[in-house]
Amino acid sequence: MFTLVSGAYKYFTRLDEYNVLMLGLDGAGKTALLEKIKHIYTGIPGMPMDKLQPTIGVNIGKVTMKSALVKFMDLGGQKDLRGIWEAYFSDCHAVLFVLDSKHADRLEEAKKVLIELVQAKELEGVPLMVLSNKQDLDDVESLAQIKEMINELADYMYGREVRVMGSSGADGAGVRLAVDWLYNRMVENRIQRPPMASEI
Amino acid sequence: MGQLVKVGGYVSTLFNKLVYGDKEVRILVLGLDGAGKTTILYRMQIGEVVSTIPTIGFNVETVTYKNIKFQVWDLGGQTSIRPYWRCYYANTDAVIYVVDSSDRDRIGTSRDELMSMLNEEELRGAALLVLANKQDMKGAMSAAEVSEALGLPRLKNRQWTIFKTNALKGEGLNDGMDWLVNAIKGSK
Repeated sequence: MFTLVSGAYKYFTRLDEYNVLMLGLDGAGKTALLEKIKHIYTGIPGMPMDKLQPTIGVNIGKVTMKSALVKFMDLGGQKDLRGIWEAYFSDCHAVLFVLDSKHADRLEEAKKVLIELVQAKELEGVPLMVLSNKQDLDDVESLAQIKEMINELADYMYGREVRVMGSSGADGAGVRLAVDWLYNRMVENRIQRPPMASEI
Repeated sequence: MGQLVKVGGYVSTLFNKLVYGDKEVRILVLGLDGAGKTTILYRMQIGEVVSTIPTIGFNVETVTYKNIKFQVWDLGGQTSIRPYWRCYYANTDAVIYVVDSSDRDRIGTSRDELMSMLNEEELRGAALLVLANKQDMKGAMSAAEVSEALGLPRLKNRQWTIFKTNALKGEGLNDGMDWLVNAIKGSK
């Protein structure tokens, strides 16, 4: 009887937990986006942008969405640090890839990194959101151009859900739309990638 | 204007209370003997360099940073007292792990102690701030070297970062604390 009750208790208080990896080149704005995500979904003010340092290591933000816990993991993007990413592939449910729309000269590099990423066996079928970040700045690459560029990668995407959107880590534009889209895709993909169970 | 500032102060105090309750944030400062843990603790607390002797047992102080109260435990790092670290693990919000960046001979020992500590269930949710200290010394390892030598890139499911510091001058400590405040806020 106890097992039954405690089992039922566990069932009803269980929270699905999803992991989202935030990846991209250094300086793309991943940490600023994470701060915005935390602010939008939890109300806790994030660290001001001018205080942010290049990430060496891992920043984590946890937010509750509907009945699930979503854990955003922001990994350092410097060339030497990208080797760390792989260790997180098997436990992740979605990838948020951040591009710096202001630095057109680094788009080729970003493209190469992205191609390598989507070919990783452990990321097969994982939904991908590409954010063309820093859209609040002047003279940025247009969203249309970025979409064009990602379209060229269609062959590598196989069956996964992919979407390209604009965002700004500075004013938060586009952040909610992007995160909500990813959340829905993760839930739809739950048969392939079941969420982890997190007890409250 | 003064009125407004006052109200702002109340709101932020209230906010901190709501988020953290009245509970202090509990932090452990760990690392091998001679890494600079005690110097860092008092740098944080009174902003001065105090002359220290090797810690047998522990020092504990309350440090207020950005309106948040931290209860900081600095535990002795000598081989014979490291086994007692585990008695302090419960309810810890973050670990500040201090490394003497010029001590290449013992960086392996430092890694082993760090890894066995992080494997403890009680520290599962604790954020990790590594301070690559003694950057003023000749031949000090860079933050990247220390990170690699400690095996940090292979950590999973943990918030971590590394900063280079010079505790004698206070360099790098505020950057580290800013990261820590933010890491604790976002993941609680």
